Amino acid sequence: MLQIADLTKRFGGLVALDRVTLDFEANVLHAIIGPNGAGKTTLFNTISGMLRSDSGTVRFRGTDISGMAPHRISRLGMSRSLQIKSVFDSMTVAENLWIAAQAREGVMHPFSNRRRFGRTAARVDEILEQTGLEGLRASPAGTLSYGDVALLEIGIALATGPTLLLLDEPICGMGPAETESTVEKIRHLAESVDIIIIEHDMPVVFDLAEWITVMAQGGVLARGTPQDIAENAAVREAYLGDEDDDDEDGEGDGFDA
Amino acid sequence: MKERINRSVLLTVLALLLAAPWLLPAVGFDYWLDILAEILIWSLFAASVNLLFGYVGLLSFGQALFFGMGMFGVAIGVAKLGLGFWPALGLGMVVAVATAAVAGALAVRLTWHYFAIITVVFSLIFYFIALSAKPLTGGDDGTSFSMPPMLTLGESELSLTDQTVQYLFILLVVGFAFFVKYLIVRSPFGMALMAVRENDVRASLIGLNVYFLRWIAFVVAGGFAGLAGCLFALFGRYASATYMFYHVSGEGVVWTIVGGAGTLFGPAIGAALLIVVREELSNMWEHYPILVGIVVILTVIFAPKGLMGMWNALLDRLASPSADGTKKDEGPREAIETAVAPVKGEAGP
Repeated sequence: MLQIADLTKRFGGLVALDRVTLDFEANVLHAIIGPNGAGKTTLFNTISGMLRSDSGTVRFRGTDISGMAPHRISRLGMSRSLQIKSVFDSMTVAENLWIAAQAREGVMHPFSNRRRFGRTAARVDEILEQTGLEGLRASPAGTLSYGDVALLEIGIALATGPTLLLLDEPICGMGPAETESTVEKIRHLAESVDIIIIEHDMPVVFDLAEWITVMAQGGVLARGTPQDIAENAAVREAYLGDEDDDDEDGEGDGFDA
Repeated sequence: MKERINRSVLLTVLALLLAAPWLLPAVGFDYWLDILAEILIWSLFAASVNLLFGYVGLLSFGQALFFGMGMFGVAIGVAKLGLGFWPALGLGMVVAVATAAVAGALAVRLTWHYFAIITVVFSLIFYFIALSAKPLTGGDDGTSFSMPPMLTLGESELSLTDQTVQYLFILLVVGFAFFVKYLIVRSPFGMALMAVRENDVRASLIGLNVYFLRWIAFVVAGGFAGLAGCLFALFGRYASATYMFYHVSGEGVVWTIVGGAGTLFGPAIGAALLIVVREELSNMWEHYPILVGIVVILTVIFAPKGLMGMWNALLDRLASPSADGTKKDEGPREAIETAVAPVKGEAGP
């Protein structure tokens, strides 16, 4: 579904991605984990077109998308959420979803009333129900709690009707109850959409993912089922070696579970 | 309730504007009809600034360039090429929109202060070209022309030389332009522009072509400014490079901010208010721009959404006399209409 070959990205002297070669199969819920600075978000940024790679190729469902503009990649059916949550703040929740859904239908209708676009309105209602944001439909996105913004991020990504969803720390900032319900939503979504998720919360990763990719220092350290990864000595070392001491999120927990 | 009040205010103002050619002489203010016409033209100019700043988040100090292009298009069309009324108007529009299309293709690659600076630079370049191209533009003296008739039917002809005809023509054109702006703002295209204003990174990730949307908005805004310039040339029978100077663009920005960026009629209100202040005070006190400066500073500090934002907030308060906290869940339906997002700084990471 998504093939990455020899992908390299440098920031000055820092090699953020070092000839990364990865193949993500369809119909499998993928997770990418790794210590901070491993290059996970850079990988997402390069795949989604926000950053241009220095070399290497990315193929998405057979199309070479290396160097393509983000909006064109998005139109091919790849959608992503951002690590630092960013939505359309002064627009309402419903309007946030509306423009995301309409972006796929085409926005070059400069003289027609947007209320006339029934299919988009129906899509908005559908997403509001899926994300559980119905009660907040008329609230400006800028007034939402952090957890609700994270949900809206997922909703916006979904509204574009993607076939691949890249989620960058979707549950970051959520409380335990919200986390649980969001994990269930992601699991449910995975039945209809391919998902690759970056997450720091190890219990969540090991609960959700069917295939885990571990990154460290711009490269791929290990890949495998959650079982393989939990038993992998190199992974344990990367995490337990120097990362565990300054680890605020309890990242290491998953390995003991 | 807010929509109802705003609609009735709008209809009343519209009725008064339509009746002005007969109302003003009746109360002995004939001289104000021309000022009213001028206010209408500059409102359209401010609408051009607002379309970019209020709806797409691009602060342009170069809209006077397109205003000047519209002016010269009409003036040169009539005076040098011997065109009639409508072809000259058409020429002014074509010149303004074409300039905006070319300048925009370069300018919208940039945002924020870089965008503001490049719009000033463009405007200065064309200002000096217009000054030096004396055979074409008349240089320092500008180009004046005599008004061709708008419509000739046998013996009688309709021409802007009649003050009432001129005023009504300007009102009609400006009203039409504001109607087009209204259509744009409530369309899917307008919503896409606001999405770009709010967060350009997110906008591109949902599949919007941010560069293209900004460019289209720039061209449309250039068209509005150009139309205002055409009208102003017809109104003054004259075109001059001074109207291309970025100082004129700055006035448009001031009117927009004072009236309320990102609202449909805010810029018109700002233009009306500050032009009346100018007319009343400039004879008495030559340093009146100090007062304008103070008004702008006070607006930015105490009413960042401008006069229109203050008015809408007042209506909201009247609509729900209960404590502020209770109406939070309803959410302001007009959030987009009244928001001035560009003030909040760079969008996205």
